[in-house]
Amino acid sequence: MALLTPFNKMPELNTANILLVENEEQFQTKLADVIVNYEKQINVNVRLARKLPLPIENADTRPRIDLVVFIVNLIYERSLQAMESSIKHLDSGFFVGKVCFLVTGARCGSVSHERLLSVRKLAASLHCPMLCAEDQTTEGVRAAALRLLSIVKVSAGLVPTATALYLSALTRCTLPAELDQD
Amino acid sequence: MDDIATDILRRTIRKIPVKKLQDTLKSWEHISTSQLETLDFSQPKWVFLENLRSLCEENDLNVKHVTELEMIYHIRNPNQGTWHACQLLEAEDEALSVELTQFREQFKAHLMEVMRHVSVKIKKHEDQAIWIRIAWGDNFNKPNQLKPTYVVHYLQTPYVFVSKLSSKHKPYLYQALVLSTRHSSIKDAHLSGSSLIALRDLLMRQYQQVFPTNQSRPLQERNALPSHPNIGKEHAELAEKRLQMACEAFGDGTVPKLETAVYRLETKYKGNGNDTLIDRDEPFKGVVQFTSTNLLESLRHCVASGMADAPVTPLLSSITQKGRNYFVITEKGPGAASQMTGRKI
Repeated sequence: MALLTPFNKMPELNTANILLVENEEQFQTKLADVIVNYEKQINVNVRLARKLPLPIENADTRPRIDLVVFIVNLIYERSLQAMESSIKHLDSGFFVGKVCFLVTGARCGSVSHERLLSVRKLAASLHCPMLCAEDQTTEGVRAAALRLLSIVKVSAGLVPTATALYLSALTRCTLPAELDQD
Repeated sequence: MDDIATDILRRTIRKIPVKKLQDTLKSWEHISTSQLETLDFSQPKWVFLENLRSLCEENDLNVKHVTELEMIYHIRNPNQGTWHACQLLEAEDEALSVELTQFREQFKAHLMEVMRHVSVKIKKHEDQAIWIRIAWGDNFNKPNQLKPTYVVHYLQTPYVFVSKLSSKHKPYLYQALVLSTRHSSIKDAHLSGSSLIALRDLLMRQYQQVFPTNQSRPLQERNALPSHPNIGKEHAELAEKRLQMACEAFGDGTVPKLETAVYRLETKYKGNGNDTLIDRDEPFKGVVQFTSTNLLESLRHCVASGMADAPVTPLLSSITQKGRNYFVITEKGPGAASQMTGRKI
């Protein structure tokens, strides 16, 4: 089993690399377009994946990953399951602020509340931030892309005085005590 | 013009859109060009119909002529009602030399032999298709012109498409078809849909097919590369492979438009829990039905996007492989008589 590790490659100057993992491959392409076209100051590379582990063949061409984003579409049960199985292929070194969950479809009324709760529980147990995003409108995609950009800049070490661990300590998902009971 | 003729004329004219009226009436050839010029196509349909009817009476047209108009309408709009495909089996040596006039005479003769009152009209369409309109009667009643059966047969092929056929008349039609096309039997092809063209394309394989290849990847250029050099796809190769497999199973480009696929399960219940179902000896019956405006397209997308498993299950790929969309699935092994009709899994 090939674990994806955060520190086995040298970082490049003024470059941030972000890996978007989404089973449906819908939202990630939209996000990627906005991210690469918006940022002009630094060089942002986006890698798109369906699931982890990533194919071995690409290991050489793949840059050092600064942020792994798991996109979960709550409308599909399979999306959640795929994310849960993907997480196992991630090195523990990522869980110091280099992992983030992006949830879409949370506002859809027909979606069971349990799914959102299980993502929250997972994010809380892994000390990762969880963001909610709107994937249907261009403004929503843009807003989500900008938030990811600001996180990846920090985790790539491009922001002076801030580190990934410091940021994640502030932004990590927490669960209210009463939800933590069950 | 009797009542029935007027009725058919009215029904047909109502269905034809105003824009196409003139063209359709012209190809009917029973109303002269000068008469056509006197008609005002912008009139409301019921006024127009009255004028047309008086012209028909002037020309002394009867039911026969009016049904021709109805046929023209159906030939031009083949996607109506449900078409069922049938397959002729065991061609005799002369089967390949059957041509239209011979077929027309024989078909009529064979049908008239078993039924006294039946009216048959046969017309050849441009694309080699023979359109047959049959109005059925019985030994005491005149043919019911208002509920005709339409049959389309492509000469020298084993395929026949039937629409609006009642089970009562099925044996007569099948017998006449088998005898006049020089085959020894006919069977239901278990394929139905509202688009005649799609059924024909599927059975005669007239759609863009993709065959397994080992080295070259013809789909590569079509699989759009990421728009930006900074975007890299980790699973590009996998996605391409899935697309290739999807196209191998369901065809490339525009695929025939099927609406449904029905799987009738007569297998034993397999699964966890529910002991009462597992212990039962008799099969667990169920029907699985897939519906879509374009089923093959949907299935192809499901496989290409990874929603369905990539090597397509033979259950789905046999829609195109075997050209049918109705399956009976029974347990493997000896037993069950229903295996006769279905496909063993």
